[in-house]
Amino acid sequence: MSNGMRMPFADSDIADEAVRATCDDASICKRFATSKGYWTDLYVQYFVRQVGERKAPEINRGYYGRVKGMNLLIDAFLKKTQCDCQVVNLGAGLDTTFWRLKDENIMPKKFFEVDFPMIVARKIHNIKTKPPLSKPLIETHSTDALLLDGHSLDSDRYCIIGADLRDLPTLEEKLKKFQINPELPTLFLSECVLVYMTPEQSSKLVHWVADAFPTAMFINYEQVNMNDRFGEIMIENLQRRQCNLAGVDLCQSLDSQKERFLSAGWESANALDMMTVYNMLPQEDVARIECLEFLDEKELLQQLLQHYCICWAVKDKLNLGEASILPS
Amino acid sequence: IAFSRFHSSIRVRPNDKDAKMKYQECNKIVKQKAFERAIASDELKRSVVDSLDIENMTIEDDYAGPKLEDGKVTLKFMKDLMAWFKDQKKLHRKCAYQTEEITICGDTHGQYYDLLNIFELNGLPSITNPYLFNGDFVDRGSFSVEVILTLFGFKLLYPEHFHLLRGNHETDNMNQMYGFEGEVKAKYTAQMFQLFSEVFQWLPLAQCINSKVLVMHGGLFSEDGVTLDDIRKIDRNRQPPDSGKTMCVLLQDGRSVSKRGVSCQFGPDVTERFLEQNKLQYIVRSHEVKAEGYEVTHSGKCITVFSAPNYCDQMGNKGAYIHLRGSDLKPEFHQFTAVPHPDVKPMAYANSLMQLGMM
Repeated sequence: MSNGMRMPFADSDIADEAVRATCDDASICKRFATSKGYWTDLYVQYFVRQVGERKAPEINRGYYGRVKGMNLLIDAFLKKTQCDCQVVNLGAGLDTTFWRLKDENIMPKKFFEVDFPMIVARKIHNIKTKPPLSKPLIETHSTDALLLDGHSLDSDRYCIIGADLRDLPTLEEKLKKFQINPELPTLFLSECVLVYMTPEQSSKLVHWVADAFPTAMFINYEQVNMNDRFGEIMIENLQRRQCNLAGVDLCQSLDSQKERFLSAGWESANALDMMTVYNMLPQEDVARIECLEFLDEKELLQQLLQHYCICWAVKDKLNLGEASILPS
Repeated sequence: IAFSRFHSSIRVRPNDKDAKMKYQECNKIVKQKAFERAIASDELKRSVVDSLDIENMTIEDDYAGPKLEDGKVTLKFMKDLMAWFKDQKKLHRKCAYQTEEITICGDTHGQYYDLLNIFELNGLPSITNPYLFNGDFVDRGSFSVEVILTLFGFKLLYPEHFHLLRGNHETDNMNQMYGFEGEVKAKYTAQMFQLFSEVFQWLPLAQCINSKVLVMHGGLFSEDGVTLDDIRKIDRNRQPPDSGKTMCVLLQDGRSVSKRGVSCQFGPDVTERFLEQNKLQYIVRSHEVKAEGYEVTHSGKCITVFSAPNYCDQMGNKGAYIHLRGSDLKPEFHQFTAVPHPDVKPMAYANSLMQLGMM
């Protein structure tokens, strides 16, 4: 602050606000897709009330691939550790995975969610005011009262924390405060989160996870193959929405996505683009969802899927065996 | 001109009964024209045109008279011509013979500003600058209403020199899903959409140029033995039927094609046999986005042309159109890139499909 005159909104505030807005994009799209029957999510309706306007079929199929792909990996990890583990969803937004795991009886020992305080405050408000959301928490909690303040909610099996993922000391402190156990195998998730930070910031984050958790897996879903025309245009379009893909340099290829983990203390890494993942999903269900809405231009879906990937990295002190983590 | 005046008056007074009635009159004419053309049989009389080799005629260096500009009649040419004739001079026979060229455009998908750009690059439609738009005028893009009314307007202005074929997006199912119905309802009324739906049903499914080149939106059939007569006999005033029928294959509508993988539903052998049986040289179709705006396949017997550049504001593809000279029917490809368009304020029809990917 050289002359003492502070701008009301720094560029970084605008950038952060744009990133927070992506939370709505994701949940609104999921709300629409589930309303059409692409997959079942009984809880998204409590975070996004109205179904809202129509989304293009390639978007619905894209989210289907994302949700199904992530769930496959998450469930595999839970199964492998027999739920004797933790899950930390970084930049979780209005995600409903905890409630799905509760319904399916495959909850980890504790499920942590982290996001910007503003998002977390919203989510806490929804949880508090909607019994279908709060009941599972209360049921799995040992006492009558949940620990609650403006930006965090803690219960025995579920905890949500408002924090800035770029501020690692505070993040670590808060996770510790809510009894995260670094000795347990822990699964870290991030879906379209790291890309909004600079490579340096995301590198520090994944490095810290590797240092602090001896047995861990990190699953990252975000853009890939961004070097081509489609990638260029996506970046331009997002910029027009003040949405800056600060970490896009690491999204050049599957190799660069793997490398960010391998060079940050992770032992092994795998990455698949979403076209590959889509073709690996149970094809009967894929055939079912492809009948829900006719897609007029296959190329649109193909381009979309080829520009997103799932990358998973493993630090495996207890020899979980990453090679077999994904059902073939 | 009449059409656009009605259009503007409807814009200003959307509920004006008189404007609506006149709009309906216009649409009746559109229907009628489309119908007449579809049922007209092509004459197989040998034309003088076939025996002329205009391309290889040369204009001598000492010819000082008016010349067509890029093969086209322009106002300047006309003024020079009239002055030349006044001086009792003769126009070079090449210019006198110059055959028409037709421009074939592929999908435009509501990309109005790119359509304007086509007219900028290639000239406005006229008697000497005929056009054929090969379907999919609406949906996906946010300016479908502007595109379709412009195309209908030119159809009324130059009924014999401006042609529209039906695409799979000129159907109710597509319009409901991909934005056109929403756009019409937002800008006009549900009744207006009904009218478009009716008019779309009358659009012809295919067009044969000089008995040699067949143009249709989607493509050919998976089975052999289809003749031009079969196509003529189609009762097209309807929504596409379920799979298997000729009509839906021409449009390559959803239900008729397999949903997985294969983009081109008909192979080179199918094309070959169809062309042979119907004594055609090649087909021109659209329906699929191509990075270069066009694609030549099946050893030149199947051409795809797509005229919506940077499709859906995402694909980064070029658009293209084809110049076809009556003299030799050799396709000449012209490519173009997307031009900027207004950032339409989010409305039910526009914003829903402009998705920036996964966030």
